[in-house]
Amino acid sequence: MSHLEELQSDLPDRETGTREKPALADLLVPVFIFVFAAVVVGLALTFDRAPAAFVGFGMQPRAFPIFLMGAVIILNLFLIRETIKNPPERREPLDGMVWITIALMGVFALVTTFADMMLALAITIFAKSLLWGERRVWVALALAILTPLTILLFFDLVLEVRFPRGLLTNIYYG
Amino acid sequence: MYDAIAAMGSVFLDPYLIFLVAVTTVGGVIIGALPGLGATTGAALLLSFTLTMEPIHAITVLTTIYVSATFAGSITAILINTPGTSSSAVTCLDGYPLAQRGEAGRALGVAVVSSTIGGIFSVFALAIAAPMMASVAYEFRPPEYFALTLFGLSMLATISGGGAVKNLIGGVFGVWLATIGADKSTSIERFMFGQYELYEGLDFISVMIGLFAMSELLVQAGALKNSAAVVRMKAITLPSMADYRKIWRAVLRSCGIGTFVGILPAEGATVASMIGYSEARRWSKNPEEFGKGSIEGIAGAEAANNAATGGAMVPTMVLGIPGSGTAAVILVGLLVHGLRPGPYLFTEQVDTVYAIFGAMLLANLMFLVIGLFFAKQFARVSLIPIPILWPIVFALSIIGAYALNQSMLDVWLVLIFGVIGFFMRRFGFDVAPVAIGLILGHMVETNLQNSLKIFDGAWWMILTQPLALIFIVLSAITLFGPALLARFRRRAA
Repeated sequence: MSHLEELQSDLPDRETGTREKPALADLLVPVFIFVFAAVVVGLALTFDRAPAAFVGFGMQPRAFPIFLMGAVIILNLFLIRETIKNPPERREPLDGMVWITIALMGVFALVTTFADMMLALAITIFAKSLLWGERRVWVALALAILTPLTILLFFDLVLEVRFPRGLLTNIYYG
Repeated sequence: MYDAIAAMGSVFLDPYLIFLVAVTTVGGVIIGALPGLGATTGAALLLSFTLTMEPIHAITVLTTIYVSATFAGSITAILINTPGTSSSAVTCLDGYPLAQRGEAGRALGVAVVSSTIGGIFSVFALAIAAPMMASVAYEFRPPEYFALTLFGLSMLATISGGGAVKNLIGGVFGVWLATIGADKSTSIERFMFGQYELYEGLDFISVMIGLFAMSELLVQAGALKNSAAVVRMKAITLPSMADYRKIWRAVLRSCGIGTFVGILPAEGATVASMIGYSEARRWSKNPEEFGKGSIEGIAGAEAANNAATGGAMVPTMVLGIPGSGTAAVILVGLLVHGLRPGPYLFTEQVDTVYAIFGAMLLANLMFLVIGLFFAKQFARVSLIPIPILWPIVFALSIIGAYALNQSMLDVWLVLIFGVIGFFMRRFGFDVAPVAIGLILGHMVETNLQNSLKIFDGAWWMILTQPLALIFIVLSAITLFGPALLARFRRRAA
């Protein structure tokens, strides 16, 4: 237990509820970390080798990432031990709105790529506002129109930032 | 010396800077009062708005956000039992019970005064300690810098959040992210997947906006059903003389604790506030009041978390090692504006450095005024409906990332790291270590590479350098000390 953990456990009303046995899902994180580290090492092994005269006594470009992943794997062993000894509290299932919000990010990326960034912002803001609980459609609509418009005007006129051309920005830029 | 004092004082005679600090303090207090939007997220979002500013003005904006948002987290902690920032979490323990007893004004008064004293103390500590540390840092060569960055990374084990192992994994992941792009010494491409925009590496700002702002947006998406109770407050009252007599020891103690904790690499206001609170309780004549509405508890936590802001700027500016998550964003701000953190900053750009210190001092005084007179109004900000606030944050995050390089890749990075950050947080990993690791990554690799070249590949020669050895021993103590101590105690028992 670190000094901080000792202090934290000393604070009043701290909930420290843990389970006796880890669930299989708790071990998915260490497994994912192992796979990630293995993939990184695999990729690093494909890097070009620099000529010896160039590198001198220094490291090849692949060495440092491999060293880091070695450290990650060692730390991951400690994580597994920690997970088995002190299983984390049971997590609430992920709220559906999180997946919807992630999907909206995907919609934003698609509309930006194939249509227009400002249009994508407007659509995302409108949808997010309504889905997150705004009941007044006109408020969501006003937000969706005014936010990208203000951003476009402020960044273009004050900060001189040029946005990628698209359906709406073409009308603005001419 | 006189030049430094003059540069610090010049801030108070610059009307534009005073205006800027006033406006930014209001902005920082609003950001800090909004649950979920802390100092780090606020600074990351505002970074792109500072691009066209003079370096002093830009860094002033970021540091003002830092100090004012750190304080403002206590407003919602006291009034609605929802800490605006993680460093105000312990303030809830005593602030909210006081508010429920109808003493919200008194609690806020104690928080404002304690925060101001903590902040001002730390600015003076910064102005004194930073040049002293810089004079030592002149002696640093690659082995010392490598050992120091290693120490900075090892400190991640002690910060709050996911716990030692998870923080270290996060930190190493951040260091790995720094290897993406062309290798600095050989120009060989690493993890670029044909994206030549990644040649210079990942853009710090996009990664930070993703990790802090976008991941928080997803956290908020999963917590839409939660609501907070609002406490009515008539007015803020200054603490009485009896209150001052009761809290002054806790405030002074927390000033020292906060500044010291802030100076430690990677530590920040959250750790400082926890230790400040804990020590206030340990030394109090009425420890039984803690958790039920003790003003000493509020003073101990609030003085410590604001004292940590100045402390965190010491390693950030002197060594280029961020003292906290927000300091990491400020460090990026320094780099973007051509100010290279390190000991030479204190000889080559002494006016700029001390003007920044002066601006931090001004910001602390500014939020005293704003906090005392307008806290009630700012508390209402936290009632802005989430369906209105967070879509705007989404838009600002996207545009903030795009504006820096006008590159769509940065926008995609925000989205990708937003999702990565969310799932890290979901599985108990703090995202701040990733940000700190990313910033330290280049330093670690470059200095290790240069050390190997200096010592003809004999890495163990690093241990023969006294300063480097000290940092490596400190790293070992940080990593293994608590576990060894616990084992020793168990055996002794």
